[in-house]
Amino acid sequence: MPGSLFAWLWERLNLFATVFLGIFIEAVPYLLLGTLASGLVEMFVNREQMARLIPRGGLGSALAGAVLGLAFPVCECGVIPLTRRLFSKGLPLSAGVAFLLAAPVFNPIVIFSTAAAFGWGRMLFWRLGLTLVFAVVVGFIFSFEKDGGKVLKVAAPVLDLQPKPKVSLPVAEKMRQALIIATDEFFEMGRYLIVGAMLAAAMQTFVPQASLLAIGNGPLLSVLVMLTLAIVLSICSTVDAFVALGFVGSFSFGSILAFLVFGPMVDIKSIMMYRQVFKSRVVLYLVLLPFLMSLLSGLIFNYLVP
Amino acid sequence: MPHKMYRYFQALILMALGFFLGFKIINGNLSWYINQRFAPLTFLAIVLLSILATAIAQHGEREVEHHHHDHGHDHDHDHEHEHFAGGNLAFLIIPLAIGILIPARPLDSTALSTRGFTTSSALVTSGSSSTTFESNAEQRTILDWIKIFNYETDLGPYIGQQAAVVGFVYHDGKLPVDQFYVSRFVVSCCSADGFALAMVTEWPGAANLEQDTWVLVRGPVQAVEKDGRNIPVIQAETIEIVPAPDQPYLYP
Repeated sequence: MPGSLFAWLWERLNLFATVFLGIFIEAVPYLLLGTLASGLVEMFVNREQMARLIPRGGLGSALAGAVLGLAFPVCECGVIPLTRRLFSKGLPLSAGVAFLLAAPVFNPIVIFSTAAAFGWGRMLFWRLGLTLVFAVVVGFIFSFEKDGGKVLKVAAPVLDLQPKPKVSLPVAEKMRQALIIATDEFFEMGRYLIVGAMLAAAMQTFVPQASLLAIGNGPLLSVLVMLTLAIVLSICSTVDAFVALGFVGSFSFGSILAFLVFGPMVDIKSIMMYRQVFKSRVVLYLVLLPFLMSLLSGLIFNYLVP
Repeated sequence: MPHKMYRYFQALILMALGFFLGFKIINGNLSWYINQRFAPLTFLAIVLLSILATAIAQHGEREVEHHHHDHGHDHDHDHEHEHFAGGNLAFLIIPLAIGILIPARPLDSTALSTRGFTTSSALVTSGSSSTTFESNAEQRTILDWIKIFNYETDLGPYIGQQAAVVGFVYHDGKLPVDQFYVSRFVVSCCSADGFALAMVTEWPGAANLEQDTWVLVRGPVQAVEKDGRNIPVIQAETIEIVPAPDQPYLYP
């Protein structure tokens, strides 16, 4: 019956719209804050200051990058434009990668929201601990690549601002230019946020989650299901702890921990946005390394904490 | 696309996004998309969007003067044209188009059928439990009842208490004809994570209630064992059809 097919499609379209707009409206303020931070960094931070702040050694710089989130409270939508800007200011690759992976969790807002959901207990401790370890490990791996050009995409040029000696500009002019940079970046990153949110919404509309959750038993399968869910849901790291709470009882400690560590590092919308900063091969590493480490730790916890 | 036009389009889209969010707040639909708790962030977004729109419009204005006086920039100008392509602009129109063309609707039985639902969930934020359990039985939501059945070891005091819950009707096709689910979505962050909680309701006229109708169910609560767990079942005494609540979701 074409009539009922049309009704079915129309209902799905409504659901798609509600989920898509949910993700978009939730993410827009964070993306705006991230691009604004990026604009301000461009105008007010220079390379010499950056060089003084961040140690050069591989491990040291990865560690510094991983805890940088405490100073820049951004979630995964905001962190990507900011990291790209910091790279252009001479932030070492290892520090930038560690920052990118750790900042969405290792920042005051997310620490408090996780504590609000799970209390100041082992979930919070392990979430922070594992995030730090994964970010430093991946950052350290990247420290062996000395040629940033092989890893990074050339940042899109700031559209129509002539390179001027920035120190001499008055603060008001610097602010004005920071806003222009933020706008251009909002349009550029917003595009990938929107594509990512549409993909996530489409998957949620047409892939039955109920059957995904139903297969979620067993030490390996439960972790795999939660990691898949982390990618598909594409929710912001500032609130994912409350979502994870819904799975306590039906899922093991290890699999929920894996969700909380992996989700902020990788989901559909962040993969789309990573592609603006890194070459495709590198994006693959940034997805696979955290995935494998999360899977492994989830498994270990499933065997140790039944 | 000419430089100035690109800047004006950017300003226009930023303003439109700001207005779009503003309308969602004014007509009360914002809570169909995100948890009420994040509404202040949406306000912040509106403020930031207006600031950026103003800055970019002024910038467009200034650039025009700049190009009039500076003929030496012709070469750069051509080069810039590649970046001023309308591609990014088109993408930012997508959320506006979806928001305007597809009628707004909160999550309902369609979402429920793809996501599934639960009659017993461990959903509870730490510390909130004691207040829930002491509350007046008639003021408890579906979420409160399901929390109680999950966390209380002794259900004795709760059995037989009078419930009065509001939710929408859901038939999954598996319950007997004299039963239906009264259901609510629980949203932690945004509609993307919403999932449905449902309480079985016994009501002789269950089959006559249409899917997605909002109802107020009154009646005593009983415990029924299902898959090794106790779940609450309402033996409805009255069922009243009510308008959809302003906030269709419950927040944990």
